[in-house]
Amino acid sequence: MANKYRIAGLLVSMESFGRTVEQAVPYLCDSQEAADFIVQSNIEAVRETFPNMTDDMAEYLSTGSSFYRQLLNYDGFMLHSSAVVVDGRAYLFSADCGTGKSTHTQLWLRHFGERAYILNDDKPALRIVDGKWYAFGTPWSGKYDMSVNEGVELAGIAMLERAEKNTIEPYTGKSAVFDIYRQVNRPKSYEYRDKLLILIGKLITDVPIWKLECNMETDAVEVAYNAMHDFGKMNNNE
Amino acid sequence: MKLKQGFIMREIAGETIVVPSGDELKLNMMITLNDTGKLLWKKLEVGADMDELVQAMLAKYDVEEQTARSGAEAFVAKLQERGFLEEASNV
Repeated sequence: MANKYRIAGLLVSMESFGRTVEQAVPYLCDSQEAADFIVQSNIEAVRETFPNMTDDMAEYLSTGSSFYRQLLNYDGFMLHSSAVVVDGRAYLFSADCGTGKSTHTQLWLRHFGERAYILNDDKPALRIVDGKWYAFGTPWSGKYDMSVNEGVELAGIAMLERAEKNTIEPYTGKSAVFDIYRQVNRPKSYEYRDKLLILIGKLITDVPIWKLECNMETDAVEVAYNAMHDFGKMNNNE
Repeated sequence: MKLKQGFIMREIAGETIVVPSGDELKLNMMITLNDTGKLLWKKLEVGADMDELVQAMLAKYDVEEQTARSGAEAFVAKLQERGFLEEASNV
């Protein structure tokens, strides 16, 4: 039987099993309203690309991609990133797998202690609600299931690269667009891909984007936080 | 000459961005166009021959015909190299 879930502020219906259902438990919702959309699963389609994948993993990938594709109809998309919340605002760090974005947000937890927590460690949903950008935890959160069922207003997004020294600067123009496009779910169809481009355009206009080059020392947190935090304050005062 | 179906052109962050969609094209690429590229791209979306491309450039830019023609030829050659044009139009 299909269950109802509230994910990224949307009521969805999903019939699933295994890891997907387990990670979706915090999102269960017993609303009698009609679902905004149905999260579908197509394990066979995943197998065309990954023939040896387990049912459980294929289901997890398939439902995640169904959710994130349909999210595009509701001003949202997934950014491959680790999202950490400090003092009620979300800071996102995006990069290729293995670059160290989770390692970086773990440094934030150590630095800020109780002021900080991980919203989603791998695939947060970004969505415009009432004209503001929010990051949401979702059941599709990566291998350690580090995710919270919440929406938190975005303070900024840093595209992360490893380096010897810690530097951060505003990131704009085509390199920023290319980098972000590489880290989002990209449905094939013209209709959805066009929605995605429009949303990326809005995101870059509305939310400060940064290029962060950093090492694995605590200093990296201070460099990133000082720039990203101050910028948000400046904007609010305008 | 005509572009294949499925390309999406959008203005993002002050750049003219083009990405493919659908099944045929290399899906993960993204390119940017300058103003001239955008002008020619729009012509090629609906289909145009070399003379029409040159005329479009002359109408918009203050350049010699020879300069416009070599610019348009270079642009079309790049598109052909990348497989962006419909096969039938490879004249």
